Amino acid sequence: MSVLVSLIRNEFEKTWRSRWIVFAVLFGLFLLIACGVYIYYVASQHRWTPPAPVAWQAQLQDQIKANQREITNLEQIKEQAPGGTVRIGGRGGPDLNIDQAIAQSKQAITDDQYLIDNNIAPVQSFPVAQAALFALGGIVMFLLTRIFGWLASEQIAGERSDRTLTTLLSRPPSRNQVLLAKGFASFLISLVVVLVTLLIVYAGFSFFLGSPGSLADQAGVALDGSKALGPGNLLQVPVWLFVLMCVGAAMLGVLCVQGMSLLISVVTGRWAAIGITLALLFGAPLVSTVVAGILFLISGSQDSAHFLNYFFFNVLLPVGSVAPSFGNATAAPGSGVNEFTAELETLAVWTFAFFLAAWLLFRRKQEAG
Amino acid sequence: MPAVVEVARLTKNFGRLRALNEVSFGVEKGEVLGFLGPNGAGKTTTIRILLGLLHPDGGTAKINGHDCWTDHARAADFFGATLEQPGFYGFLSGRDNLRQFARMLGPVDEKQITALLDTVGMTERADDKVKRYSMGMRQRLALAQALLGKPSLLVLDEPTNGLDPNGIHGLRILLRKLATEQGLTIFFSSHLLSEVEELCDRVVVLHRGEVKASGPLSDIMNVKGFRYRIDVSDVDKALAVVRTVDGAHADPGTLKDSITVASDTDIARQVNYALVSAGIGVDQLVREEKGLEDVYIQLTGVAAGSPLSSPPPPPAPAA
Repeated sequence: MSVLVSLIRNEFEKTWRSRWIVFAVLFGLFLLIACGVYIYYVASQHRWTPPAPVAWQAQLQDQIKANQREITNLEQIKEQAPGGTVRIGGRGGPDLNIDQAIAQSKQAITDDQYLIDNNIAPVQSFPVAQAALFALGGIVMFLLTRIFGWLASEQIAGERSDRTLTTLLSRPPSRNQVLLAKGFASFLISLVVVLVTLLIVYAGFSFFLGSPGSLADQAGVALDGSKALGPGNLLQVPVWLFVLMCVGAAMLGVLCVQGMSLLISVVTGRWAAIGITLALLFGAPLVSTVVAGILFLISGSQDSAHFLNYFFFNVLLPVGSVAPSFGNATAAPGSGVNEFTAELETLAVWTFAFFLAAWLLFRRKQEAG
Repeated sequence: MPAVVEVARLTKNFGRLRALNEVSFGVEKGEVLGFLGPNGAGKTTTIRILLGLLHPDGGTAKINGHDCWTDHARAADFFGATLEQPGFYGFLSGRDNLRQFARMLGPVDEKQITALLDTVGMTERADDKVKRYSMGMRQRLALAQALLGKPSLLVLDEPTNGLDPNGIHGLRILLRKLATEQGLTIFFSSHLLSEVEELCDRVVVLHRGEVKASGPLSDIMNVKGFRYRIDVSDVDKALAVVRTVDGAHADPGTLKDSITVASDTDIARQVNYALVSAGIGVDQLVREEKGLEDVYIQLTGVAAGSPLSSPPPPPAPAA
């Protein structure tokens, strides 16, 4: 056990001393973006200080009022042109007859009232939840997973290229311990970076929403993102648990990428490992988008490419699948907590397979030099 | 004396190339064994098997009774090793590199690290980054790395590679000292004969993956036969004349106006008489001791043909 701790410490030292510039650049980038966003805020809002916070109940009340106005409008239209249809949601939305549209708006009012009466805030009401969805499901993780993949791909391959791997493996710790230490160290480093990123983004959201918000309140998340949030389509969790869920899912995505990178690292040298890893991490989503496009052209159905979500490269960011579904507005099909869970299961299988393969290869890998 | 290293019928193939063919030898406690052979003989392959980096296709390699592949962790407890072209973390200092490897063996003993850096003469540059080290400095650091954790066996792959003459001399003295004062068993490979000649109790000569000779240096050096260098006035005539003498094998010598004569028996007088009788001037007739170099060339056949003859094609692996 103490050997493993020493090995992990060695990995920390190596990663930090050889690649500190990556972390420095990343931090500088975040700082730069934060400054830019703040300057934009100051210029557009004509103020230096955070805005006054808006209670989520007030937001839902506004939404109820908007729906009531909508119903009044629709009833006027119905009197003028009975039997007509309206298109909800602009181009591409479904054509509904007026009665259906009125029913939908009434349902939205009922749903919103249900949330207010039961003190369940839509999850996007919390700055911390917004930060989790943006930082862990959005562009930041999109960037971070690639960096973590790159760093993990160097773990063994880089040492092979530097000819330090032979010294490492000739020493008493077993290959299993060496691999475990490398995997563990990579994971811990990425966990720290992800948490720091989350905190920075949370600080930003707290500022722009005027308050850090509560961590203990109940949040409502849609099970099926394509339907409105309300009774029957509701996962009710404390907001801290929701954030923890997002962190866990994002870290599983990171672990999956690291498993893949370590597998590549076991059999190659440094530049091949970095090249293949980055090509896969950037190329796979591209290929998947193209395939989805072709399938859509052939079938004409958005759902026909849904199965691609269960290839690992599309579920690297399972948090992303829950992101468009939060709140009480509807999102595209194939999102929501149910989808999130399904993608997590897929991701777990991929992760396990990558690490298993890396372990099987590494324990008998010959270092011929 | 118990054997520290036991290698028995070790066989290793790389694809169609048979790198080792039933190699067997042992290293006894406290001895300095030289592992000799030309480039590509299989020395590094053998050492990599001992270090647990390669697994053999046949035979066994054991250190203190522990199999080097299946029981690597226990076998590795006994040795420290350097490999050809030692690798270090270039972004760390020499001292930090030693700390890295020391940590793999247990709690870091700063005193030992300082002492080792001093032993290998690296104290002054210990806190410089390794990427600024020369090959010789890396070699010294590699030796310090091998000595971490007080091993009872040192396995060194071409340890003098890249060292300057001073460094080579220092290494020799150090290895001798380690062997005599601390009773360290040392197994080291080299293609340089001078090292082996001065340092080793015993040598194993490897060629094309096979052991060609092994034993105490004195035994290997004591190859039967006599050899003479004769400085003559006319090389061509002299060769023709000497070849008529019973049991004499004559070749042009390596020096100008000289020939080399080899024989199983002492024929100095017969050869001299024949040359003088034929009217050839003999300026000098010297009996040459067979050096390790000659034995080496004889065993490995490297000198056959042109001085730097291309290595012969590898034998196909046995079915």
